[in-house]
Amino acid sequence: MEQFRKILKFELKGYLTNKVFVGVTCFLVAVIFLVTFLPRVLDFFGSEDTGEPPEDREIMLVSGGDESVRAALSQAFPEYEVRLTEGDVKAPVTGGEAACAVELHGLSAFTYYVDNLSMYDTNAQRVSEVLTGLYRLAALAEAGVAPEQAEAIMSAAASFDVRSLGVDQGQNFFYTYVMIFALYMVILLYGQMVATNVATEKSSRAMELLVTSADPTAMMFGKVAASCLAGLAQLVCVFGSALLFYNLNRGYIEDGGILSLLFDMPPSLLAYMFLFFILGFFIYAFLYGAIGSTASKLEDINTSVMPVTMIFIAGFFVVVFGMSSGSVDNPLMVACSFIPFTSPMAMFTRVAMSHPALWEIGLSVAILLGSCAGVGVLAARIYRVGVLLYGTKPGLREILRMLKKA
Amino acid sequence: MISAKSKGVIHLILALRDIHKSFGEKKVLTGVSFTAESGKAFGLLGRNGAGKTTSIRILMGVFPADSGDVLMDGKPLDHKRVGIGYLPEERGLYPKKKIIDQLVYFAQLKGMKTQDAVRACDRWLERLGMSEYRDKRLDTLSKGNQQKIQLVTALAHDPEIVILDEPFSGLDPINAMLLKDVVKEEIGRGKIVLFSSHQMSCIEEFCDAIAILNKGQVAVTGDLHAIKREYPRDRLAIRSPEAGKIAAAFPGRTERAENGELMLKLESPSEKMSVLRRLSESFDIDEARVFEPSLNDIFAQYAGD
Repeated sequence: MEQFRKILKFELKGYLTNKVFVGVTCFLVAVIFLVTFLPRVLDFFGSEDTGEPPEDREIMLVSGGDESVRAALSQAFPEYEVRLTEGDVKAPVTGGEAACAVELHGLSAFTYYVDNLSMYDTNAQRVSEVLTGLYRLAALAEAGVAPEQAEAIMSAAASFDVRSLGVDQGQNFFYTYVMIFALYMVILLYGQMVATNVATEKSSRAMELLVTSADPTAMMFGKVAASCLAGLAQLVCVFGSALLFYNLNRGYIEDGGILSLLFDMPPSLLAYMFLFFILGFFIYAFLYGAIGSTASKLEDINTSVMPVTMIFIAGFFVVVFGMSSGSVDNPLMVACSFIPFTSPMAMFTRVAMSHPALWEIGLSVAILLGSCAGVGVLAARIYRVGVLLYGTKPGLREILRMLKKA
Repeated sequence: MISAKSKGVIHLILALRDIHKSFGEKKVLTGVSFTAESGKAFGLLGRNGAGKTTSIRILMGVFPADSGDVLMDGKPLDHKRVGIGYLPEERGLYPKKKIIDQLVYFAQLKGMKTQDAVRACDRWLERLGMSEYRDKRLDTLSKGNQQKIQLVTALAHDPEIVILDEPFSGLDPINAMLLKDVVKEEIGRGKIVLFSSHQMSCIEEFCDAIAILNKGQVAVTGDLHAIKREYPRDRLAIRSPEAGKIAAAFPGRTERAENGELMLKLESPSEKMSVLRRLSESFDIDEARVFEPSLNDIFAQYAGD
């Protein structure tokens, strides 16, 4: 235990004084600072905004329409300067004089021209809505309906209210995604760091002295615990500063925007995040550490850790697909939420976006906890044998045989 | 005296008894036994792959032997109570970390309290003339100086057993002298000092007892002088400006050794005195003595194929 403490302290100090670690953390905090303070800064400069559209707007050409069409489009597209034209509309668009063009074939059909169609370009749909409105107004007028009455009919819409009795997935999606991604990044990053750390000690032959000075189990647990604490410290720094900056700028951040969606998470979820982070981190860091001990050269690390990384990435994709399909309780997700290597992400997602039974959560955590201890002891055994092996990398069979003897 | 704790000089006997060890199908050690005593240096010799490092690792408890015992004063060696200092052949510490930090870390792992560890490491750095590098990173030091730092990790926690694997390799003559002084001090303080080296002259200088390993077995072990005396004392080594005349006076009984000495074979050990008398009366003799095999000769005989 004493050795574990010493190792933990030494390794943790190594992380916290590592320039890259400190640099990356500071950089992330700085980025969050910028993002959260941006609305306030914009607001400060934007206070002189007179509400008039900016001068240098891009041009939208309209051919085959009249002034009423132009006026309606102008109103619907304040970001464009809408101009009527008689001639060809393709050349100005390809030539760059106009950003886009609408060629009308009556009010019920049109062609939308744009040089490169962006994935997010919804102009055609918006033009369609405007024209549809104009068409219907015209039709109503033709049928003898008074213009005011026609307007009232057109703008009428049924009001509605949505009340989710479980969890609102639309609202939870964003912060669940961010948390899963943070989990993914930190585990992958720090897992690799543990593997590299062990392999470095081995290749610098500091291991010769370490194995004769300390118990391998204490070494393994000390190293993994240190990297876990370092990862947590980084997460706390990043999310803590984000929360602080958000609250400082709350008044300036638009309600219902991405930022407010992100910070609108219940504290209980934060506790689950913490739990699954620690357990997920440990189980993977043990594996990474054990693999690091079997590599004799640092160059070997990347290929050696590949299988573990693959399992992890596969788990991540199952979870992300489950999330985006909206069915986080599909059979695959349920299975994954009990398999120790995928449960940290899968069960967390289900907790965040659905409402699994308490026994399900308990069982998942228990399985994870047990596997963590098992993998930890196994990893320490591999470590004990692996660190003294130089030269060729041992195969799986050889490692298993050594394990029996260790 | 550089001692972190005062223990007084107690006589200790470390013994490996019939150690067997295999890795998979490969038998690495078959029945290795030897005994080392405190206050004396013990030389563990053998060619590459003879089983020296495996023996040392079993002794240090890195892995257990398949069978056999490691005994201290007749009882199984308790690694929690008996300190072992180790200078591995493959040197290496943390290149990017501050020297004092890693020295203290290793001393702590060996069970020292932080304050004691800092004090002991500082004392050793001073003893080895390395104090100025205390707060530097290890990789800023020359190879010889790195080795001196590594030596501190073997000695700072004041262990009862000191194991030095090729301690002199990579040291310049001045540093080698310094290390010899340190080793002599440690032996003088009643430590069990185990040497493993290919440099026979060093072993011969320090070690009272040796064990030569060959293919996982002890080929010969015991007191070095006793081993040497077991060889027949039937040759004289002679240094003389008149070597040619001596060779002519003893036809068919002389040969030139590699170091230029003339080797004269006696018909029997009892002939020694009469031959010595004859030599001193008839020739100009610088030196004449009974030839004893060097450790090199013994090694070549026992560790060869």
